[in-house]
Amino acid sequence: MKVNNPYLQDLTQGIVKENPTFRLLLGMCPLLGVTAYIVNGLGMGLAATAVLIASNLVISMLRNFIPPQVRIPCFIVIIATFVTIIEMVLQAFQPVLYEALGVFVPLIVVNCIILGRAEAFASKKPVLRSLSDGIGMGIGFTLGLVILATVREIIGQGTIFGPDPESAIHLFGANYEPMALFAQPAGAFIALGLLLGMVNVIFKRFNI
Amino acid sequence: MREVIRLSLTLAVVGIISASMLTSIHGVTAPIIAERQEAEYRQALELYFSDFDRFETEQLDDDYFDLLYNSSGKLIGIMSTIQQQGYDGYITYNLAVDSEGTILGLLIVSHTETPGLGDVITTAVYQEQFVGKSFKDPITAGEDVDIVSGATVSTSAMINSIRRVIGFIAVNYLGQESETIDITQVPNGTYQGSASGLCGPITVQVKVTDGMIISIEVLEQSETPTYFIESYPLIPDQIIAEQHFDIDTKTGATMSAEGIIAAVRAALSEKKEDQSGGEEDNESE
Repeated sequence: MKVNNPYLQDLTQGIVKENPTFRLLLGMCPLLGVTAYIVNGLGMGLAATAVLIASNLVISMLRNFIPPQVRIPCFIVIIATFVTIIEMVLQAFQPVLYEALGVFVPLIVVNCIILGRAEAFASKKPVLRSLSDGIGMGIGFTLGLVILATVREIIGQGTIFGPDPESAIHLFGANYEPMALFAQPAGAFIALGLLLGMVNVIFKRFNI
Repeated sequence: MREVIRLSLTLAVVGIISASMLTSIHGVTAPIIAERQEAEYRQALELYFSDFDRFETEQLDDDYFDLLYNSSGKLIGIMSTIQQQGYDGYITYNLAVDSEGTILGLLIVSHTETPGLGDVITTAVYQEQFVGKSFKDPITAGEDVDIVSGATVSTSAMINSIRRVIGFIAVNYLGQESETIDITQVPNGTYQGSASGLCGPITVQVKVTDGMIISIEVLEQSETPTYFIESYPLIPDQIIAEQHFDIDTKTGATMSAEGIIAAVRAALSEKKEDQSGGEEDNESE
């Protein structure tokens, strides 16, 4: 299967072939920290995606203006600006999510996917391709977070769409004793390891 | 040289653009955040004081005391916002106290204690043990409230802080007699008392002669040695020199120092209680 459209290729590359969670193993820290609930994982993924798209766009636009000697400080300042904006917006309009994500929101600044894409892609490629790369990587990261969070929430909490009691659905009834290990970061490692194994098997099978 | 200027200018331009963007967004979101936080705070107030009408804020160092009045202007309670050094950074909490000096509720506003250990202070089980306690209760670890093993520092910091705050409220806002110990009224003798420090109880022996504290000896303690030497014998020496307990404890070993002071206080006040207990009974009858 050969796709000739470079934009589409950039887009799908981040979702499947170079999925940051399952293939590149980047951004593990928030991945393990916030995936106890699907809602938190999704929120984190969307926040990181927004920052990734914005920073890819701006860095690609400025790629001829920023001298290579000071590119990393410039990238960090640009990324930090967007993260802080996201943080303030979340705090103002999504306080519950902001509380749940806690320290991981400001830590998006040092999320290696974002700096990695800025350095490896956006600083060398034209604006539109960087944009589709940002969208693809963002979707891939969000997907990874949501998949891991789904596994962890079902096993570790016995619910989906928690912790808000209004939206939480108890899959196994209220008397289900959840496997608390999977709610802890250690359980996140175990779940991630199992998922990585499965993804590897699937990818080998279909020769991706 | 030109190169250096070019690089600095680039960084400066990026920084200035970033700062101006942040300033404008902050201008939009800050009022919304403040409004929401105030709404949340009012909600918390209404939870404990359903009939409050207005409040006045008093500030003491980093602590805020909101005096709540009902529509007829009567003081119905106090909501305090306290900053307390925990195990890792500051714990900010609200303590709701009614006009009798009884704790109605405890609300942790923010903290950075260790997840899974120190954050036990946010659980209802831990917080409920304070509800209903008043400034008359000892609020001392092991007596009427418990510390949680594995989270000794966080939980005992909360206990000490609550005891201090409720005492402060009772004396300053509720017109309760200050429990200042008149050292000159303490009969000659040797007294023992204990209070919790950072890592466990501190027991002291206090010798009083002619209305003066002449010696303070620590009999038992399990403080961190490097911290403890900063407050002992420094704190006892200060108490002996000044003959009162308002000692500045900002030495980097606050909890140990406050523990020693509280233990000395306990030693002398217990003695006082024995003497005045009978009188109080007469008054109330």
